[in-house]
Amino acid sequence: MNTFDVRELVLTYDGKAALQHVSMNIIPKQVTALIGPSGCGKSSLLRCLNRMNDLIDGCNVEGEILFHGENIYAKNYNVYELRTKVGMVFQKPSPFPMSIFDNVAYGPRCQGINDKKTLENIVKKALVDAALYDEVKERLKESAMALSGGQQQRLSIARTIAMQPEVILMDEPTSALDPIATGKIEELIFDLKKHYTIVIVTHNMQQAARISDYTAFFLMGNLVEFNTTEQIFRQPTQAKTEEYITGRFG
Amino acid sequence: MMSLVGVMVLALIMGFIINRGVGLLTWDLLIGDYHPTTYNLSLPTTESLGGFARPNDLDESAFFSQMWGLGLMDDVDFEGKAVVRVIYVDAQSPLQMMRDKNNLERVVGLFPGLALEKVIFSDLTIGLSRTKAENFIILFDTHEGINDLLAVSSGNGIRGAIITTGLLIGFALMIALPIGIFSAVYLHEFAPKNNAFIHTMRKMIDTLSGVPSIVYGLMGAAVFIPFTSRISKAEGGNLFSGALTLAVMVLPIIISATIDALRAVPDDYRKASLALGANHTQTTFRIVIKSAVPGIMSAVLLSVGRMIGESAALIYAVGTAIKDHIILTEKSASLAVFIWSVMAGEVPNFELACSVAIIIMMVVLFINVLIKLVARRFALLP
Repeated sequence: MNTFDVRELVLTYDGKAALQHVSMNIIPKQVTALIGPSGCGKSSLLRCLNRMNDLIDGCNVEGEILFHGENIYAKNYNVYELRTKVGMVFQKPSPFPMSIFDNVAYGPRCQGINDKKTLENIVKKALVDAALYDEVKERLKESAMALSGGQQQRLSIARTIAMQPEVILMDEPTSALDPIATGKIEELIFDLKKHYTIVIVTHNMQQAARISDYTAFFLMGNLVEFNTTEQIFRQPTQAKTEEYITGRFG
Repeated sequence: MMSLVGVMVLALIMGFIINRGVGLLTWDLLIGDYHPTTYNLSLPTTESLGGFARPNDLDESAFFSQMWGLGLMDDVDFEGKAVVRVIYVDAQSPLQMMRDKNNLERVVGLFPGLALEKVIFSDLTIGLSRTKAENFIILFDTHEGINDLLAVSSGNGIRGAIITTGLLIGFALMIALPIGIFSAVYLHEFAPKNNAFIHTMRKMIDTLSGVPSIVYGLMGAAVFIPFTSRISKAEGGNLFSGALTLAVMVLPIIISATIDALRAVPDDYRKASLALGANHTQTTFRIVIKSAVPGIMSAVLLSVGRMIGESAALIYAVGTAIKDHIILTEKSASLAVFIWSVMAGEVPNFELACSVAIIIMMVVLFINVLIKLVARRFALLP
């Protein structure tokens, strides 16, 4: 069963269409990359998957997105519960102005987990899984603002993992990072794939080719092509896809 | 050019105030009573009279009794009334051994600064405050015993005004802070955007911060004095009605500054928190308000600065009577009103007014520096 089934999704901002009749599915425990030029709607689609678009004024969604067969845009759907299962990592690392420990413990605490021992275990496991624990274990009580950009981004991932979600959405997670930090995040994504379904928006074609199993190519709000990454990069069926991945526009 | 004129005018005013007021700025001013205390003293036994030398640094115009080791001078009190002021008492003078008439066990030596009201000597000759210092010295020099001595301290302390101001600000903040912060949080975080009513509310709050404070004072008189009179035994202006008036006055300031602080919290925090499954309330209270605390701190300081210099709003609501012993349900005068009070008498007391003005200005300056420091910390933090 697919994790997500997107069906005939139409997304408009103040009446202007950003996504037109997009249908695709997200396969569990795989990395799906969304690629395409700026403004093609790939980030909009990502934000639909955990309904972060709700926060944007004038945003309207038609069609359905099924998460394990349930339409997340149905009335009375518990969006907060959805977001505990579908976490998100943003382009800009945005640790809260509090300690490293409190950052990671924030999500579980909001779910009412206050037991110190439990929290310590959750935080440690999340930091280990995000490949950050060894670097910060001596200073868990220090402010997260003092971490480097790459560490902050891994902290954001740890914060998301601490919720033990099924899906992690990543919105250009490495575009603000240097190549070394980017490399570490890519390795991390490779490890995380064993336990999580990952959807990643990226501008970087090589990145998509390196880390993803499936790739969807978007253009002007349309899903042009969706296939295994190997297919897309070896033998794209659409001319536009080939032009884009070979760098002829975009 | 015009700014130079402005700076010069300001410097002139400051210079005038500092020049006139700095002379009175002492610790005694801060902790002293405003109203004079009367001392009723007597000297039952007398010994070691005579043989005192006039000290060299005694004022030229002062008169000195070699017999009693006492220096007196003609002076005026702060109301302009002529008084005879004690300006020197020799350390060995028998006057140091005078006793409280009401409790003869207690030694209360005569000390410089007191003004002589009335002295009854051993043969019942009487010297009064209208007696000139020169004649008083003659009286002292011709008598060997004092039955009764009435003297008053100069008063003019501002302790009462400082306590009043502190209490007013404390109570006002206790009322205005929770209301102000929660209003701001509601308006910025929860209220529907693009809503005409909310929009109008915010416009009105912005306008309110520009309303002259005397208008708030009138409101205090019209609303809060009757209100506090009903729930307590207050009659007329009192500290509670004053605090309520101030609270209403600073509410728009606190709301606006808190909204600014909330606006400065990066949207990324809100998004990140919501993406972790936190709901709106959790996001607001655990992340947004926490991050806005330094900004809210400067809102508090800003309103304290506004309140400490406030006079017009308090003239009705707390009254203008200067008190030394503050009772919450009675009238008293805050620092700024104190200036008004001492200047409104028949003989304006420029020196005292200027001293208080210096104190207010120093506090406001201190608060402004504090706001800068808080703001700088805020800028460094995220």
